[in-house]
Amino acid sequence: MTSNNPRAGWEKIGDQFYQKVQLYESVFDADLELENYFVAGAPYGGALALWRDASKVARYRTGQSTKSTIDIYSSSGKLISNINWEKGPIKGLGWSDDEKLLVVTEDGIVHCYFGLHGDFQPFLLGHGAEEYGVVSCRFWSQGFVALLGNNTLIAVSSFDEPRPRVLAQPPEGEVHSWSLIPPAYTLSRSVEVLLAIDKTIYVVDASESEDRGLSDGPFKHISVSPNGRFAALYTEDGKVWVVGSDFQNKYSEYDSKAKTTPTQICWCGNDSVILAWEDEVHMVGPNGAAVKYYYDDQVHVVADIDGVRLITNEACEFLHKVPDPLEEIFKLGSTSAASVLVDSIELLEKKSPKADENIQRIKPNLPEAVETCIRAAGDEFNHNFQKQLLRAASFGKSVLDLYSSDEFVDMCEDLRVLNAVRDFRIGLFLSYEQYCRLTPERLIARLVNRRKYLLAIKLSDFLHLPSNKIYVHWASQKVRSSSGDDDAIRELVVERLRGKHGISFETIARAAYDEGRSHLATTLLNHEPRAGKQVPLLLNMEEDEIALNKAIESGDSDLVFFVLLQLKSKLPLATFLRTISEKPVAAALVESSARAQDQDLLKDLYYQDDRPVEGSNLLLEDAMHQPQVHAVMDKLKLAARLLTDAKDPTAIMHTRALTEATQLLKMQEAFDKEITDSSGSFLGLSINETMYRLIKSGYSKRAASVQSAFKVPEKSWWWVRLRALTAARLWGEVEEIAKSKKSPIGWEPFYNEVLGAGNTRLASSFIPKCTSLQPAERIEMWVKCGMIVKAGEEALKAKDLASLESLRDKANGQQHVEIERMLTQLRPKK
Amino acid sequence: MAAHPAAKVINTQEITDKARRDLLQLLEAVRGKKNLVLERSLAGTIGLFVKFSTLQEYGVDKVFFLENHNVDSSQRNVIFLLRGDNAKTVRTVAEQIKLVRSESKIDHEFSIIWIPRRTRVSDMVLEEHGVLGEATISELALYFVPLEQDLMSLELESSFSDLYLRKEPTSVFASATALMRLQKQYGLFPRILGKGDNAKRLADLLQRMRSEEDVNASSDPSKTYLTSFGLTPSSVVENLIIIDREVDFPTVLATQLTYQGLIDENFGISNNQIEVDTSVLGGAPAPPQQQTGTAQPPTAATKRKVPLDSSDKLYPSLRDANFATIGPTLNQTARRLQSDQQNIKQQDQSIADLRSFVSKLPSYQAEQASLKIHTGLAEEILKVTRSEVFSAMLEVQQNLLAGSDPSTVHENIEELIARDVPLKTVLRLLCLESCLSNGIRSRDLESFKRQILQAYGFQHILTLADLEKLGLLVPRESHRGYLNPIAGAAGQTATDWNAVRKSLTLWIDDVQETDPNDTAYVFSGYAPLSVRLVQCILQKSYLFGLVNTRQGNTPPTGGGWKGFEDTLTRIRGATVDVTQKGHDADASHARKTLRGSKEGPKVSVVFFLGGVTYAEIAALRFVSGQLEKSSWRRIVIGTTHVISGDRAVGAAVEKRKFVE
Repeated sequence: MTSNNPRAGWEKIGDQFYQKVQLYESVFDADLELENYFVAGAPYGGALALWRDASKVARYRTGQSTKSTIDIYSSSGKLISNINWEKGPIKGLGWSDDEKLLVVTEDGIVHCYFGLHGDFQPFLLGHGAEEYGVVSCRFWSQGFVALLGNNTLIAVSSFDEPRPRVLAQPPEGEVHSWSLIPPAYTLSRSVEVLLAIDKTIYVVDASESEDRGLSDGPFKHISVSPNGRFAALYTEDGKVWVVGSDFQNKYSEYDSKAKTTPTQICWCGNDSVILAWEDEVHMVGPNGAAVKYYYDDQVHVVADIDGVRLITNEACEFLHKVPDPLEEIFKLGSTSAASVLVDSIELLEKKSPKADENIQRIKPNLPEAVETCIRAAGDEFNHNFQKQLLRAASFGKSVLDLYSSDEFVDMCEDLRVLNAVRDFRIGLFLSYEQYCRLTPERLIARLVNRRKYLLAIKLSDFLHLPSNKIYVHWASQKVRSSSGDDDAIRELVVERLRGKHGISFETIARAAYDEGRSHLATTLLNHEPRAGKQVPLLLNMEEDEIALNKAIESGDSDLVFFVLLQLKSKLPLATFLRTISEKPVAAALVESSARAQDQDLLKDLYYQDDRPVEGSNLLLEDAMHQPQVHAVMDKLKLAARLLTDAKDPTAIMHTRALTEATQLLKMQEAFDKEITDSSGSFLGLSINETMYRLIKSGYSKRAASVQSAFKVPEKSWWWVRLRALTAARLWGEVEEIAKSKKSPIGWEPFYNEVLGAGNTRLASSFIPKCTSLQPAERIEMWVKCGMIVKAGEEALKAKDLASLESLRDKANGQQHVEIERMLTQLRPKK
Repeated sequence: MAAHPAAKVINTQEITDKARRDLLQLLEAVRGKKNLVLERSLAGTIGLFVKFSTLQEYGVDKVFFLENHNVDSSQRNVIFLLRGDNAKTVRTVAEQIKLVRSESKIDHEFSIIWIPRRTRVSDMVLEEHGVLGEATISELALYFVPLEQDLMSLELESSFSDLYLRKEPTSVFASATALMRLQKQYGLFPRILGKGDNAKRLADLLQRMRSEEDVNASSDPSKTYLTSFGLTPSSVVENLIIIDREVDFPTVLATQLTYQGLIDENFGISNNQIEVDTSVLGGAPAPPQQQTGTAQPPTAATKRKVPLDSSDKLYPSLRDANFATIGPTLNQTARRLQSDQQNIKQQDQSIADLRSFVSKLPSYQAEQASLKIHTGLAEEILKVTRSEVFSAMLEVQQNLLAGSDPSTVHENIEELIARDVPLKTVLRLLCLESCLSNGIRSRDLESFKRQILQAYGFQHILTLADLEKLGLLVPRESHRGYLNPIAGAAGQTATDWNAVRKSLTLWIDDVQETDPNDTAYVFSGYAPLSVRLVQCILQKSYLFGLVNTRQGNTPPTGGGWKGFEDTLTRIRGATVDVTQKGHDADASHARKTLRGSKEGPKVSVVFFLGGVTYAEIAALRFVSGQLEKSSWRRIVIGTTHVISGDRAVGAAVEKRKFVE
């Protein structure tokens, strides 16, 4: 790439320029027969996965193992790893955004390889994939869709937690070709699939399958542009149509005049379509203009967001539309300010005064020109031109009075990073746009997966990104690969990571444990600061007790509970109870969860802990669930029996209460038989309620028997009687009671309750009995009963002139006369 | 109502908005119409930040309650929105998914949204039931839900019984996570103060989380860039004060005497709403438009939901006042409205007058509607407070709080039992006595227990046992209490109420209810201990002045608990005082510089672990108002949930009967 012409490889299609750049040369071994391979490339210039198509005859070569493998290469042809593959034919091979390799077999098993080195997680597609078989798959950055033999479509939209979902069932018939629109670009935000069946195209999403009503099929190829807005269709008669992905508008048509159907159709950016045959590539730009490239042998096309990678044995090339800033500057005869600025740099180097003249001429547009130069530098692949453009920008901004250099500085940094990873030893060739979309963090993650730790750390430091994950990955790798003794490795790792911020030792320990080095794992785990993170691994390692302790330490009850559930299912009950007995938090959690679901466990727990009262309470709760009175009594008996040996006062009180509860139920049962009125069953009432109900229904004798049986205090008894009698308005009985000399609750309540029930006559009869009250209060009581004269008498007795006078105002008719009489009686005689 | 300046500092509206956005986004992720299945307790919480009509816009067709087991198969998509902490809930979900799947002919799409996070236990239980792969699982990190601008609640209804009855740490962890999220947004609390053993646990957990955060942050790719340098002390939040409910049970047990408190006691406020008979509201006009939409189906015709929040015209000015002053205030308002109306009628009106009147009309009407509602409510409450039983109860309560000999009120309590007042009322009084005097003499307690069993039924053996476990109703034991030398460093196990009542002036005889000058107004005499503790930190000189009326003693200076250490040792539970510094002094300095050197309003976050009552909220708002006047500082209240005495003892009360 030492060409001196910035326009090398430019090609004009219609009114746009396209550029084909050679990224790397002699990519693959000459004897690697690319035509026999499937090639899938990860997005953003990522790794390439090659798998030999078993259906094609291959030349036998000595020394080559016959074992089937999936080979992972960088764009520069550097072998990253071989993954052994013995699981039969592959029906789908694709990558996710974060360089997870997905391999789908015919029977619907998906292997999700992460980290580029053969670690994988399998999952099943299900939904009939086994029965009908997977025919093919289409991938997008975070998921894929599989097409089954019966046209069923299964979508997976996350690989962290794959949940295959069936999309709506499309009609029967041969699927000529298909493609998908990623969820990010559809209106519904879920994936949509375009299926070419018969002469038309169906759009299928989760809920419906809709016929787009086209009639010019069958379409041999469908491809959707990276931004999801356009679709390219290849008709049987060799024509390419570019239409909107909603099939409302047709934008252009191109006749390839080819007899054979291309092997591949894909988009190059969002405005041109690539048709690829074995050794020929057509690029169709807007309005049907096209350019053709010919190769000597097989070429594979790997589409990316802003261009395509063309892979042959000899070279890896990048074909893309020339970005606007570059076009603006380098286009022949360009007179834009930016172009002038770049020219003046050459003049400046020649010390020509014209440089200044030029600058003055474009001064009004200089800021934009500088910006264009900076952006062009980012888009330019050639180091020399990058430098030239940046120099131009630098020169331009030095002339400007006010200019923020942030953009310039950022671009310089970004270019350093990009140039570093574009090196053929790394082989991550990203365009600037791809880099922006990928983000620096994920670029670093890619380096880590390629085990380029040193570069990753240097770049992290350079970009001010945290480097802890790199260290953790390195340490995990170290633990996996080294064969030294445990202590030595541990020391090495701990020493190297000392003082580093935010290291997850749990990850490293897990790596050690997975290698079967549990001692190393335990010692490493001690360095993990997050108690919670240690727990799952400790559980795997059968360090139950420690796991439980750590879980409790973390304060996260979910975690404690998790450990407890595991322990409970794996330990014998007695051991389990012993384990938790000394840990109050654990015991509390077990207790409260068992209360909801597992009463038996709770009984065992209380028995083992010697807590008879709690055990008995449990039986009492049981009793409350029984619908039959006899079952209730049985449970109560059991509950009481648990307490027979207990000596503490609570237990004694409980025993007594339980016996009484049984006794009460028996009495209530009897009442139910004897008394058959509409008031319902006595069962379940409390003692006071029972007495109340009895008195109210006129069975005072029976109520009295309840009182004596349970030694209900006199006061309560009187209150219950009073309330019941007034509620039932049994005034006769109230009068009967009123004949008693003394009431343990005083007579005031009688007055209040009876008055409250509206019987003023009876209420007033209690007023004279309230001897402990003040006269004023009694006056008030009389007034409330409407007996003004009586109140007057009370006032007279107390010689309370003021009250009398106020009573006079309330009085009427005869009362008035009476009060006046009392007033005169009380007034001092003149 | 003027916006709280604190609201600008800790913006609770942001939390509401974020919660709504997150929920709607999750709903949107499921395409097409869907049925939503909620936990009953969540319905109100969700209603606080999103209207039912909005949910409908996002494709929600019907809403079911998980508890009802009636999810139908009318929609292909079924979304469960649940709290994931409880294994029982998870099991119910698993069963319902299986049920719907077996009964329905359609191939359903199930989604589960766990609040506030997806738990391991939920995964495990779902896996056991074989439905883990069936459902798309996501989480909605809903921790604090703002009830008001200065009040954030986790709405964990069960946290009181979890903490004190079952001794489960779940809510401590949830609180720590929620506070951690606040710290991530506003910076570290420069100082963490607290009282109580659970407060200590919470503070320890916060410290631990902070150290773990460093590792977590860096393993979370989305946030790496921002948090990779560690947290720095906040420049807007001054401190965090954690009050463990256990330290101050009496305040919960006492009957609240503020308007909002009494509404809660009588109608039960949940999620800023009450449900009352339409008759109470006396034909108030149909629900005003601003009524918070809820995710609940319409209730029976005779009941109506009344929203109680700052959107109401009158409520903000009424809620924190002592109930005694409500009548006059309502009267005044009524008169003012009336005179306004007359003015309008009488005046010779120019067009301009008319226009200004018309523009005021909506607010005028809203005010009138609100007046009608509150008059109705106040009358209803008045019926209760005027009753003989209420005054008997209040007398007992005030005597106990003022520190009279408990044995003098025993007779009154016995009478209340005999008169069959609600069990909870009796229990509150007994628990109050037990808490204030560190247990009831065992002979008396025995007799009370017998009377309760006789009056309310033997099933309450369980109630009484649970109350003892809660530590609310215990026999007095000689080795308990503050004289025990062994308790020592671990903190006291009991509070010396007599000493504390004096040293913190918990009782004020001549309290002013109309124009309050002390927090004691919320209980007409009793100043809540919890609030006094906060005052120990924020209003040192005021509190000091109350106790030392003599001149000459200088009030204590300095931060934290300084000046009240002696008193604190007489209160049960550990004392917390932690200062948090940033890893990097430069960074915190830089942050300060960036924020500008001028002192903005500083905020103290008061967090109640185990619940807060409306009376305490009123008292804290009162303190906050004073602070704002004197030093531009404010209080923001956080809590696990809002509690009342009935709810506290209700945690213990057995609800079933024999043979039902």
